Amino acid sequence: MTLFRPGVRAAPAPSCHGDGPAAAVVSGAPVVALAGAPNAGKSTLFNGLTGGSRVVGNWPGTTVEVGRGSWQLGVDDGAVQILDLPGAYGLDGASPDEALIRDLFTGGDLGPVPDLTVVVADAAHLTRSLYLAAELREAPQRLVVALTMVDVAARRGVTVDPGRLATALGVPVVVLDPRRREGREALARAVADSLVAPLPAARVAGPVDDPTDELAVADERFAWLDAVLGAGAVTEAPVGRTVTDRVDRWVTAPVVGPLLFLAVMWAVFQATTTLAAPLQDALGGLVSGPVTAAGRGLLGLIGLGGTWVAGLLLDGLVAGVGMLLTFVPLMAIMFALLALLEDSGYLARAALVTDRVMRSIGLPGRAFLPLVVGFGCNVPAISATRILPDARHRVMTALLVPFTSCSARLTVYVLVASTFFPQVAGTVVFGMYLTSILFVVGVGLLLRRTLWRAVGPEPLVLDMPAYQRPTLQLVAAVTWVRLRGFLRTAGGIVVATVTLVWLLQAVPVHGGAAFGQVPPEESLFAALARAIAPVFSPAGFGEWHTAGALVVGFVAKEAVLTSWAQTYAAADPTAGLAPDQLQAHVHAAFGLSSGGAVTAAALAFLVFLLAYTPCVATVAIQRREIGLRWTLFGIALQLTVAWTVAVAVFQLGRLIA
Amino acid sequence: MTSPLRSVLAAFADGARSRVEVCARTGLRRDVVDAAVERLVRMDRLVASELAVGCPDGGCGSCASGAGDAPGCGAAGPSGRRTGPVLVALSFRRPGG
Repeated sequence: MTLFRPGVRAAPAPSCHGDGPAAAVVSGAPVVALAGAPNAGKSTLFNGLTGGSRVVGNWPGTTVEVGRGSWQLGVDDGAVQILDLPGAYGLDGASPDEALIRDLFTGGDLGPVPDLTVVVADAAHLTRSLYLAAELREAPQRLVVALTMVDVAARRGVTVDPGRLATALGVPVVVLDPRRREGREALARAVADSLVAPLPAARVAGPVDDPTDELAVADERFAWLDAVLGAGAVTEAPVGRTVTDRVDRWVTAPVVGPLLFLAVMWAVFQATTTLAAPLQDALGGLVSGPVTAAGRGLLGLIGLGGTWVAGLLLDGLVAGVGMLLTFVPLMAIMFALLALLEDSGYLARAALVTDRVMRSIGLPGRAFLPLVVGFGCNVPAISATRILPDARHRVMTALLVPFTSCSARLTVYVLVASTFFPQVAGTVVFGMYLTSILFVVGVGLLLRRTLWRAVGPEPLVLDMPAYQRPTLQLVAAVTWVRLRGFLRTAGGIVVATVTLVWLLQAVPVHGGAAFGQVPPEESLFAALARAIAPVFSPAGFGEWHTAGALVVGFVAKEAVLTSWAQTYAAADPTAGLAPDQLQAHVHAAFGLSSGGAVTAAALAFLVFLLAYTPCVATVAIQRREIGLRWTLFGIALQLTVAWTVAVAVFQLGRLIA
Repeated sequence: MTSPLRSVLAAFADGARSRVEVCARTGLRRDVVDAAVERLVRMDRLVASELAVGCPDGGCGSCASGAGDAPGCGAAGPSGRRTGPVLVALSFRRPGG
């Protein structure tokens, strides 16, 4: 039997710039098209069927590349022309490749429909792969389904019965393994038989309410496929849950999930503070001891000892920036632990758990995305509000982001927590992150119930990546990238701030002292700080060193530390300031300003630090994203919330104490 | 006749947070749910976007998932430069959007 039939209409031959002899393509022979989703094994099959006798070229009038060749079906069956069409999930024409296939099969300008189409279907993703077949079956045309990846499906517990599938689909189904060249003869037989059989009738589509509704039409096809695959054609092993699914059952559970998340984050901060403490002490000792002594000696040698230059370098840069650099081990450990969690896939679950909490109180779902980013840095988080389609959501989220506790605040938390709560420093730091979430929730509810009553929640689905073993290389790379950001801040804006603070400290407010030779408490910096300090008295930290540090912290939160280090170092210019000495100074200052309620004042300070304006970079990005008016409103909101809650914490704490 | 696509959308709207949950709520096979989610994304009924967590202090310019000053988290889909696992957030398109 030969398949060559005079008068058979063939699809036009593509223009060629091929890698095989064009003469190998049999002119006038039936045209068989290979179609299917990308990566279903279509091109491997095409290469196997055509061997070297193929050409590749653009389909006429398009830039879409199509392979073409000749396939000898069998000794008695003759040859057919075979087209390797680009991968496509359907006929909706979402890409130029898919548009070509749509036009080819729906009678567009591209010529007649191929005589037969082999739909190459991945058995491991059968519904997705057969969607194209469902569309093609809506017209009377010859189809053969070639099943690939059957072994992969079997490993996932999915077994396909080709006979039942063929009956349900109404077209022949052949199992293939293109890589091992198995099943080709069966495919050739099925193609040959189909080409001489009468044209099969189109499938009768189920009822569709509105044929112009894209969703309704697609839903009908899915319903048909669900029925086809559910009719015994496909069986799935009853235990189909992966390790990820089993772990997620607990990790994302409504009650266990949040508790586990809290436990994990507590462990992260506990490990961070515990592991970093000895390293921090060692670095602090190095900066305050040998480095300061060497600097002083060097400056003395070149005749600058005791001058304002020595003050700037030793009391400013070495004391301020040096103190900040002692936090490098702490930041590195925390970044590494978070990178481990992120790389393993756990942080995605943490996001889901937190999102659920926020959703339960009615905050918009998608706003959660930038808020999560804010825990790293507020600046990109505010940029990320662009993903929100609603302007009200954007403004509201950009106003909430500063309440998320960025990593810059961590350095101050650690210093204050280890000063006032040395036994439970990790727990206190962890508590600050919880407080941050409470601030976001509380302020979010406040805004929703006042300014944005009309803002409704948006549904959000978080699709989890599978768990994986973290890789050392990736964790190291991510840690370094984040640590580099911390170092850039320390080396850039913090150095500038330290210099400015030193300048203000060098200017005397009374006569009798020279520039750079004034005691810090008689400097312009102290005078300005003293003017502001009474504002913080109700919160228990109305002392000029602390008030000055908080004002400097407007520039960047790390600068709170450097400001403390500078002012206390300048007060004792004969020696460097070790971390424990700085802590003793801070403790004494809080004791003085709080009237003895040191714990309450420290907690109030931490709360204020968390809630007030994060840094100038955040203000700048807010202005760019939501405008000056909302930015000013945001600053006022942050200061009001921070001051009110800090005062409440101190006053309540003092009463309890 | 079943309505797999609309069932999946309804499951998401009712609070399902994962494909496993969608399977449990709709009774659909995992393969059907996977294909339905892909189809709904293609039809713009669901929107996929990438979520980055733990951003560096240096902002997007120093972020492994960012491109220049553009946040990787705001990308339309998982970005090619992203090296770690990607959390894909699927959210419903705004009505009329």
